[in-house]
Amino acid sequence: MKVLIVDDEPPARERLKRLLEEIDSFEVAGEAANGTEAIALAGRLAPDVVLMDIRMPGMDGVEAARHLGQLDEPPAIIFITAYDEYALRAFDTHAVGYLLKPVRREKLADTLTRAARLTKPQLAAIVKAAAPRARRSHLSVRARGELRLIPVEEVLYFLADQKYVTIRHRGGEDLIEESLKSLEDEFDPDFLRIHRNALVAVRHIASIERSGEGQYSVRMRGIETDLPVSRRLATDVLRRFRG
Amino acid sequence: MNRSVSDSPSAPAPSFYLPDFCATQTVLAVVLIAELVALVLTLAREELQYGFWIDLARTSLFLLWIGLSSAAVLCYTRPVLARMSVQRASAVSLGLLVAVTLVISEVTFWLGQRWFGGLQSAMGSLFPINHATFLLRNLFIAFIVSALALRYFYIAHEWRRTVEGRARLRIDALQARIRPHFLFNSMNTIASLTRTNPAQAEEAVEDLADLFRANLRETRTQIPLKEELEVARLYQRIEELRLGSRLKVKWNVQALPMDTLVPSLVVQPLLENAIYHGIEPLPDGGTVVVSGTRAGDNLELSIANPVQKQPGGLAHAGNRIALDNIRERLELAYHGRARLDVENRGDEYVVKLTFPLVPRAALQ
Repeated sequence: MKVLIVDDEPPARERLKRLLEEIDSFEVAGEAANGTEAIALAGRLAPDVVLMDIRMPGMDGVEAARHLGQLDEPPAIIFITAYDEYALRAFDTHAVGYLLKPVRREKLADTLTRAARLTKPQLAAIVKAAAPRARRSHLSVRARGELRLIPVEEVLYFLADQKYVTIRHRGGEDLIEESLKSLEDEFDPDFLRIHRNALVAVRHIASIERSGEGQYSVRMRGIETDLPVSRRLATDVLRRFRG
Repeated sequence: MNRSVSDSPSAPAPSFYLPDFCATQTVLAVVLIAELVALVLTLAREELQYGFWIDLARTSLFLLWIGLSSAAVLCYTRPVLARMSVQRASAVSLGLLVAVTLVISEVTFWLGQRWFGGLQSAMGSLFPINHATFLLRNLFIAFIVSALALRYFYIAHEWRRTVEGRARLRIDALQARIRPHFLFNSMNTIASLTRTNPAQAEEAVEDLADLFRANLRETRTQIPLKEELEVARLYQRIEELRLGSRLKVKWNVQALPMDTLVPSLVVQPLLENAIYHGIEPLPDGGTVVVSGTRAGDNLELSIANPVQKQPGGLAHAGNRIALDNIRERLELAYHGRARLDVENRGDEYVVKLTFPLVPRAALQ
């Protein structure tokens, strides 16, 4: 079984590596220092288990676990923490595998053998407990069995279709399977609903144009497309943009 | 955007002991006191002139007049009184209360003489006849009752302060403890080092022990600056093991008089904050700069850390608690002569401590 170690502290990674050497049938496939690195490595190495520290700079462990859950064959995840009261309570209630620092060898071996993929309800419960950092720093899209990350600050807008949501970002366009409503809730107040099917990044709005009889449209920085503002939301949008 | 927050270390200011006499509750209390005194005076009178109820009504009216006027005067002068020392404010309030009694007694006597004195009516005899006795008696009663009331307000206030103070001390003790994150992470680092670098592990255990000893000291202890900086360095060494090259600390403190006394644990928690909130969230780490200068009779220490640019913007509740705690301890030690300023310069967060130089000899 291949194990990926994710922790920002070199001595912590060192120790886990050493402990794993002493446990049969598990081998260290790689090491990552934060969530972003972990996702890049997970796509390449296809580990069976990820030992994931929670508190990390850049992308933290909870968000990384969320992204990894999008893979076709997601790895099992074991969280590691020094001290996180709320997260621990959620882990216990939802039977999520976790380890406390300093990690004991027997505990590690035991947890590894019982490691399982996170289910959707488990993930949701952890994300809720991990607040206030419940808002993701990146969005992930699947591409040929790997995950590609899109930093949220590079997203221009989300456009909802029948089934998918299109993300227009600095690097192009992608499709994700999330509802516009949940995206709106998560990224409020940085994103603004301007239409039943459109959510735009406030920071990337170039101007708001009046295009006719009480009809407005939003122009985004750096692209040609104009997005219509629905009549119902026009007052809100104007107030937000001017205020 | 330049935001600067600056406030002196005045968590709960040692407020004035007299209650606010403009408040309805206090006025009600004044009415109650006046009525009780009227009742006592009437009960104590051996020969009732017109029977109990009329005597009580007469005394009540007179005392209510005095009581409410006194409340009005204190309501008006309270801001001025609050700036005086306790003794002075008490003496002035007492004087004011006696003066109010004097004026009202005089007016009462004058009213009686002028309007009803001539008439041999029932109304006329409700007013006092002997001028000197009337005034003198009233002044004595006013003096005694006012002194008792002031004393009562003072003791009630002190009692409330003690209760609040005790609650604060408990929070102090709680906050003085090292962050659990730090403790367990350090243990983890040491566990890792025991195999790879036993000598370093040994050193880390010693550093951790000294750091805990410093944290267990009574929070009011004053120690030489040199020792306080040493405690901060212990902390830095332990964090360096864990964070590796991500953590750099620059010390510009050579110009400081190392034997000056400072309250213990003011620098280390600030360094801890700078690392926890400033360096740890940065994937590539950064540099914390500790600089100290001497400005006249004051000593200035500043701790600066880089700030992570974050769209959401996290509120650091933990940070504020630590700062409040240090502010309070500075206030206890220096009584308003020390300050802690926080400046958020967008990409840099600076905490600046200013406190008077106290040479060791001065305290011995």
